[in-house]
Amino acid sequence: MSPESASTYPGVPEEVVGHHFSSLERQTEAMRLGMWLFLATEVLLFAGLFCGYTVYRFEFPLAFEQSSRHLNITLGTLNTVVLITSSFTVAMAIHYTRTNQRKMAAVCLVITILFALLFLGFKAIEYAEHFREHALPGKYYASAEVRIPGAAMFYTLYFLMTGLHGLHVIAGMSVLGFVLWRTLQGRYSSNYYMGVELGGLYWHLVDLVWIFLYPLLYLI
Amino acid sequence: MGESALPAKDLHPEGHEEHHSAVAYVVVWIALLGFTALTYITGTAHLGKWALTIALAIAVAKSTLVALIFMHLKDSSGMTRLVFVCALVFMALLLFFSVADVATRFRLATPAGAPFGTERAPPEGLLEHELPAEE
Repeated sequence: MSPESASTYPGVPEEVVGHHFSSLERQTEAMRLGMWLFLATEVLLFAGLFCGYTVYRFEFPLAFEQSSRHLNITLGTLNTVVLITSSFTVAMAIHYTRTNQRKMAAVCLVITILFALLFLGFKAIEYAEHFREHALPGKYYASAEVRIPGAAMFYTLYFLMTGLHGLHVIAGMSVLGFVLWRTLQGRYSSNYYMGVELGGLYWHLVDLVWIFLYPLLYLI
Repeated sequence: MGESALPAKDLHPEGHEEHHSAVAYVVVWIALLGFTALTYITGTAHLGKWALTIALAIAVAKSTLVALIFMHLKDSSGMTRLVFVCALVFMALLLFFSVADVATRFRLATPAGAPFGTERAPPEGLLEHELPAEE
C-alpha cells in the first residue's frame, strides 16, 4: 500500500495510474464511483421523459393504447432480445478481460457492436414506417389510423424517448469501439480493465432504459 | 501475463478474480430472455387494469438482474450502490408527485382551457391541436 508502488503494477500501463491516487485500487474505486454518478444523472435525464409519459398516458389512456397497437411489436421484441444479448456479450467481454483471454474479449466486443448496429437498423425500419404513415410528433401527426386526441402526444413521447435512447445506443457503440481498439492494443488485463468495465456499465444502462421503454411503448 | 508477480489481494480486495466465473452471466441472460417472453405474452394478452402492474413488475425484475449481476452492483462498494439508489429515489419522488397531481384534479380545481383534468369532449374526429382555442 505504499504510495510509490502506484506506477509499478505489473500488467498495468504506467500512464493510467494518476499520481494523485495513493494506489491503483483507490483509483479504480474512484473511477467506478464517477461512472455511477454519471449513470445516476442519465437515469434522471430519462426520468424526465418517463414522467412526461406518465402524465400524458394518465390523461389520454385510450389514445396511448390505440397508438401503441400500431407500433411494430415484432421489431420491438426483436430489439429487446438484441439489446439483452448485447448486454450479455459485453458482460462476457469483461469476464474474458479479467481472465486474460484478450481474443475472446475482442470477439465479444465486436459482437456487441454488431448487435448495436442491428438494433439501430430495426429502429430505422420502424421510423421509416412511421414517416410513411405520417405517425409523427405533435402538429405533424396526420396518421389515418388513430384519430383521437392524445395520439399526437403519444408519438411525440415515442420519438423523444426512442430518439434519446437511440442517441445513447450510438454513443455506447462508439465507446465500445474505442474499448475494442484498446483491447486489441493489449491495454487491458486482469490487473487493469477499467475501460472495459466502464464502457460496459454505460452499455448496460442503455439496456436498462430499453427494458422499461419496451413494455411502456409497445405493450400497452 | 506477469500478474503472478503481484500479490493478488493488493489489487483485488474481493479476491474473486482467479476463480471468476461466467456462469452467473449465462444464467442472467437466459432469465432475461425468459422475462422478455413473459412480458410479451402478458403484454399482448391485454389483461386490463393489471397489465401495467405486471409489465412494470417484470421490467423491475429484469433491471434488477442487470444492475446486480451485469453491472456488478452485487459486489460494489456501499457508496457506489448509494449513488444509484439516490437516483432511483429522486425518480420515484418525481413520478409520485406528478401522478398525485394529475390524479387528484377535478373540474372545479382546474381553470378553463387547462390541458388536464377537464374531461374535454372534443368534436368528433378532431385532434387536440385542431381544436378551437378555448378562452
